[in-house]
Amino acid sequence: MAVRIGADIGGTFTDLVLVDDGGDRFGFGKVLTTPDAPDRAVEAGVAELLHDENLDGSAVSHVVHGTTLFTNALIERKGARTALITTAGFRDAIEIGREHRADMYDLGMARPVPLAPRHLRFEVSERVLADGSILQSLDDAEVIELIAKLRAAGVQAVAVCLLHSYRNPVHERRIGTLLQDHAPELACSLSCDVVPELREYDRSSTTLANVYVQHLAERYLGRLRQRLDARSVTGPLYVMQSNGGVCTVDTAARLPIRLIESGPAAGALAAAHYGRLIGCSDLLSFDMGGTTAKLCVIEGGAPLIAPAFEVDRQDRFKKGSGLPVKVPVIDMIEIGAGGGSLARIDGLGRLTVGPESAGATPGPVCYGRGGTEPSVTDADLVLGCLDPRFFLGGRMHLDREAAAAAIAERIGRPLGLDAVAAAWGIHQLVNENMASAARIHAVERGREVGRFALFAFGGAGPVHAYRVAKILRCPRVVYPLGAGVMSAVGFLTAPLALDFVRSRPDHLEALDWDTANTLIAAMEDEGRAVLRRTVPDAQIGFRRFADLRYRRQGFELRTSVPAGRLGADAAGPIRAAFERQYAAVYGHTLPDLGIDVVNWRVIAEGPVPNLKLPTPTTSATGASDSAEPATKGHRALYLPEVGGFAEVPVIDRYSLTPGTRFSGPAVVEERESTVVLGPAARVTVDEGLNLLADLDHG
Amino acid sequence: MDQLTLEVLWNRLVSVVNEQAAALMRTSFTSIVREAGDLSAGVFDRRGRMIAQAVTGTPGHINSMATCMGHFLTRYPVDSLRPGDVLITNDPWKTASQLNDITVVTPVFRGARCVGFFGNCCHALDIGGRGLSADSREVFEEGLFIPVMKLYEAGQPVQPVLDLLAANVRTPDEVLGDLHSQIVGNAVGAKQLLAFLEEFGLEDIEALSDSIVARSERAMRDRIAALPDGTHSYALTVDGFDAPIRIETRVTIAGDTITVDYTGSSGPVPRGINVTLNYTTAYTTYGIKCAVSPDIPNNEGSFRPVTVTAPPDTILNAQFPAAVGGRHLVGHFLPSAVFGALAEALPDRVLAPGADGLWDTQIFGEDPDTGERFTYVWFASGGAGARADQDGLSATAFPSGIAGVPAEVIETLSPIVLHSRELRQDSGGPGRFRGGLGQSMRLTVRGDRPFVFSGLYERLRHPAPGLLGGRPGATGALRTRPDTVVIPPKLRTPVPAGTEVTLDLPGGGGTGDPRTRPAETVLEDVHQGYVSLEAAKRDYGVVIDPETLTVRADATAALRRA
Repeated sequence: MAVRIGADIGGTFTDLVLVDDGGDRFGFGKVLTTPDAPDRAVEAGVAELLHDENLDGSAVSHVVHGTTLFTNALIERKGARTALITTAGFRDAIEIGREHRADMYDLGMARPVPLAPRHLRFEVSERVLADGSILQSLDDAEVIELIAKLRAAGVQAVAVCLLHSYRNPVHERRIGTLLQDHAPELACSLSCDVVPELREYDRSSTTLANVYVQHLAERYLGRLRQRLDARSVTGPLYVMQSNGGVCTVDTAARLPIRLIESGPAAGALAAAHYGRLIGCSDLLSFDMGGTTAKLCVIEGGAPLIAPAFEVDRQDRFKKGSGLPVKVPVIDMIEIGAGGGSLARIDGLGRLTVGPESAGATPGPVCYGRGGTEPSVTDADLVLGCLDPRFFLGGRMHLDREAAAAAIAERIGRPLGLDAVAAAWGIHQLVNENMASAARIHAVERGREVGRFALFAFGGAGPVHAYRVAKILRCPRVVYPLGAGVMSAVGFLTAPLALDFVRSRPDHLEALDWDTANTLIAAMEDEGRAVLRRTVPDAQIGFRRFADLRYRRQGFELRTSVPAGRLGADAAGPIRAAFERQYAAVYGHTLPDLGIDVVNWRVIAEGPVPNLKLPTPTTSATGASDSAEPATKGHRALYLPEVGGFAEVPVIDRYSLTPGTRFSGPAVVEERESTVVLGPAARVTVDEGLNLLADLDHG
Repeated sequence: MDQLTLEVLWNRLVSVVNEQAAALMRTSFTSIVREAGDLSAGVFDRRGRMIAQAVTGTPGHINSMATCMGHFLTRYPVDSLRPGDVLITNDPWKTASQLNDITVVTPVFRGARCVGFFGNCCHALDIGGRGLSADSREVFEEGLFIPVMKLYEAGQPVQPVLDLLAANVRTPDEVLGDLHSQIVGNAVGAKQLLAFLEEFGLEDIEALSDSIVARSERAMRDRIAALPDGTHSYALTVDGFDAPIRIETRVTIAGDTITVDYTGSSGPVPRGINVTLNYTTAYTTYGIKCAVSPDIPNNEGSFRPVTVTAPPDTILNAQFPAAVGGRHLVGHFLPSAVFGALAEALPDRVLAPGADGLWDTQIFGEDPDTGERFTYVWFASGGAGARADQDGLSATAFPSGIAGVPAEVIETLSPIVLHSRELRQDSGGPGRFRGGLGQSMRLTVRGDRPFVFSGLYERLRHPAPGLLGGRPGATGALRTRPDTVVIPPKLRTPVPAGTEVTLDLPGGGGTGDPRTRPAETVLEDVHQGYVSLEAAKRDYGVVIDPETLTVRADATAALRRA
């Protein structure tokens, strides 16, 4: 039997999932992360999992893996000593950036600091113009002299970003060759390889971030490969990318910047996959953990993709305060709202929740580890959402009295409220904050949030999802089984995929189609060459896109482009596709305006892997539509509908069988979380033991 | 209304206006709205009081929109409005002090009763006239003036108004397109407000707005009351047109109120850099807010304790029909004027003056590839002033929030070629904390045809002063090669083909005595090239060995003692 393994290295735990090729046998593993050498935990986890499943390493057809190692290196500035080479006159473009402030009122704000300080930014005399023509040629001798300077400065890595290299990379490539010849020990990234797109600030920022962690990626992935080999796991090792595709180790080592957001991406992918399997392809995935909540729109079974993101924000939740990274990423919003988010009274005497968090230590007051400031978890406990004796499946006891006292003292007293009313205020406010972020995230993407089902996971997601869905008027909430290993499962749902882009601004009406065909063919050849190592030719597929806009507009829409050789007759269908999309987003089209093509894109991909849902080992039998859930008792839950506490049934999630139906209010307990349901919920348990709660919004 | 209910409702209202702004930006046809964020959006109660405002925009829009609703209600009393009505104006004296800034207001009806308003203000790409410039002598030359009037009546567009507008602007598609986005934004806000009233069982937002206004006003008054009473003066000089313009500022903190008065400032000029009082108020209250209450939400209540006055014979309270198209060339300096006055009382809450005025470059010419006419406009920023405890930000917009444009975009959209864009060494004002550096841009225009250059630039003659013992930043400059070509700032000037133009943007002022800046910090600035060896010695009294790049401690100590 052949199996696949997914491994997700998180901050605390490394989660592993094993699935057989049919996609219906599952094994799960969890080991402590080893931050100094994360590959060690992966090896240990894989070994343990194989042992548990009684399998040999050779049974593993491939391993898919994701890590936040490189993100951390960027945030902690622990990458290589990195230099930047630019066109003469432009070494400061990376520091000048967009010239704007992320916060309008904060006079003390800081701007993101470039990864290469000014004294390590060097210029070469050369110039390519916007049409790709050469105004001034590159002089080899000058470059060779510069390489000597780089070595003298103790540089370990070099990013090269010359003006208009997305259009004509000849000078960048020549510098790459000279670096290879004269200083092969230096890591080197050319912007025309990393992100061949217009806008020098974003391109150089991305190229710098890439080369900054390149040595780290090479070494780490090499070590991991060796460790897997040592366990006889010799099948290919794939790495999860931020856009939800996976790539080979070679690509990952060359373009580590594409892996940065892979952890959260996997969670959204798993949500998308669950959604497809349960026939619910439009979802808002809602992952609420200890410090943040992440929300992602999933439409037609796939998460929305954004063309860029930011790393190392000066203020984690402030757009525009970080370094831009122009690589495709699953489009999600992260806000400072989690179980550990602290409730405080601000300068106006108003209650606020987050973004500051109690973290794992000291943690919420109710953990009894020295926390004194009340958090969301403390409020949830006081309201009866959590059972003080059944937290983490009973592995941890919570101190309800301490939580109530802290809330009464720090929140209740200033607001003139008792502990329960103050706790409800905290609970309600954090729900409002998350709903508000979701609504704006959706409207910015032209989506109406109220038509999506909420897909709730993470430790605190199921506790808050019902109330958030009520605010957003979502018709349904899905509570998946196995929410705790969502990311690792997500790794195994992704096809092997590579994406390519070439910038070539041109008028659609008078396009140079030969050039376009050449660019597209080159990207497809490149993709085929990589995929061929693991995917049979017949299973390699290509999707092509063009980024289009009305002439003189600033932003593009990505439009599908037909397969086959393109010619003048393709302009009509491409225009029509663009206009359909434009009308869908903006409400109307501008028939009199010309259209420009800015970029051509190709996605080369292998087949979508088989993967069913993890089902319980004890198959449920004898279930009927009328089955009542087995309750393990009742407890007092605060319900604003009755203005106080009410006794509600407590249901053991693991006793539920497919087809069971019940209504809220109720509490469903599982090991990693608690599902809290209000009176408007009508719940059905599906085949995969997921809870589907339909909400009546009156 | 109990406190927690108030908070939930207030939060939700803020969410509604942010949705309004997001819908507006997403549907906009111009990058000036979408990317640069040159807009504002807010919700008003039946009485026209602004209750909440989206987190977007630039101060000139935000704070002037807050006061506009009274003018709409004077013309159209609330009970005369009907569902489906949409109101419009670009009256500079009632809104954002420039004809390009169009405000659109939509009343929201619950049944037959108006329960509030959504309003927004966006910078239109064109409004006819001379185009955005400071050349005009009267507002009549600056474009189409739209008094407060109806754009939609009972759900139907008032077609003659739209036709008139389309016929008077150079880019009707974009201008009417953005108007449409402004209407859409308000409609999204209205829909959410009605759902909100429904959900919480409210008739209107009057009681809620009373609570919000009262709470914000009280918070603002408490904040001001905690400051020491006193009157503080400051005078700032900027280049102006033919003669320098002096901004005389008197800030009086008395109990729980602040009054800012500009008596004694220069008079109006017969050019388009005059400022209307509402724009003066907008940038003044922005400065106060940054220094005193950055965390208090912007609404009717938070504005109440602050009064801004300027006599009608000053450039800061220009009277109709003064030309006002380039009002930001003066208005952008008002936060610095306020900070200068407050520096004595609140040294750790202010910035030193910086480049302040956005540099707005327009080039008109012929594209050598197509033979067609081209117009290209972009904005750039010099250095911001130093903080009391940090250096100033280099090449960063303040007080405006407008973003710059990459060289590759400029060169793709026009025949302009940028030959360099770099930080200007030694342009940051020396101080214990250094002012932000300005930037230099050197450019040519491809082809063998002459072109027209128009730069709305400030601080070429009068540098950004230092504060609290800090020294001034470098002045800006406009250089040409050959230098026989002379391009005066703020005027449209024909330029021969092949001329190379260099813009040197001003640096920000420093704070504190430069001789107290740690020598190691000065050394680091020299190492990075922000400060030259000579300036380290001359301005900071730090002697650095040019060979080893180390501080010569004895020589430094001796020089700093001298």
